[in-house]
Amino acid sequence: MEASSEPPLDAKSDVTNQLVDFQWKLGMAVSSDTCRSLKYPYVAVMLKVADHSGQVKTKCFEMTIPQFQNFYRQFKEIAAVIETV
Amino acid sequence: MAAGELEGGKPLSGLLNALAQDTFHGYPGITEELLRSQLYPESIASADMDFNQLEAFLTAQTKKQGGITSDQAAVISKFWKSHKTKIRESLMNQSRWNSGLRGLSWRVDGKSQSRHSAQIHTPVAIIELELGKYGQESEFLCLEFDEVKVNQILKTLSEVEESISTLISQPN
Repeated sequence: MEASSEPPLDAKSDVTNQLVDFQWKLGMAVSSDTCRSLKYPYVAVMLKVADHSGQVKTKCFEMTIPQFQNFYRQFKEIAAVIETV
Repeated sequence: MAAGELEGGKPLSGLLNALAQDTFHGYPGITEELLRSQLYPESIASADMDFNQLEAFLTAQTKKQGGITSDQAAVISKFWKSHKTKIRESLMNQSRWNSGLRGLSWRVDGKSQSRHSAQIHTPVAIIELELGKYGQESEFLCLEFDEVKVNQILKTLSEVEESISTLISQPN
């Protein structure tokens, strides 16, 4: 995952959304048909986002623990920067 | 043994096969047949098999009649050490049916104009999340946050972290 403090020259999505809700859960994958012993924890996130018209959509995704820690670290960076602007 | 191998082990077999072809080309005695019968069933059973378990397993195999030699055991052991992370990651990705977080980019803008007549100077964070399901193309989600929102999210994320710490500190 890349961290970028340079402005991306063109965001790949044209629409900017507002975050309406952030739900999370911490899960543990135990077993699956491809692997009897998985044993890995993951963070599942459910976002509710609203576009300019007010239409609300749900987006779900999962992160491994290292991915989550990177995600958290980047938010802390964002907070530090936004404070100084 | 044959039934156990086939049971849900195909994606892993395929992956190990491909990796093995690459790694073992030229090693005498390490045939695909050998790997399939000796290594795969154990690997299929446990994605988090640690190095000690593997060593023990391989040692046991060298003692069996018609099993592997200690040289062969060393090669398999080395193979597992170098590929374990990749294999584990692949297994994790395959069993995740939701989107995964593939990337995150962000920037902070100082907004200095608005629709209304009054000039406002509110900093805004623009975050682009790259999401994608296994084997599918990425979807990009662009979100806008003001400072208040960023801090709200931070608080939520610290709760997640606390949860993770609790999980890790508990013995399984």
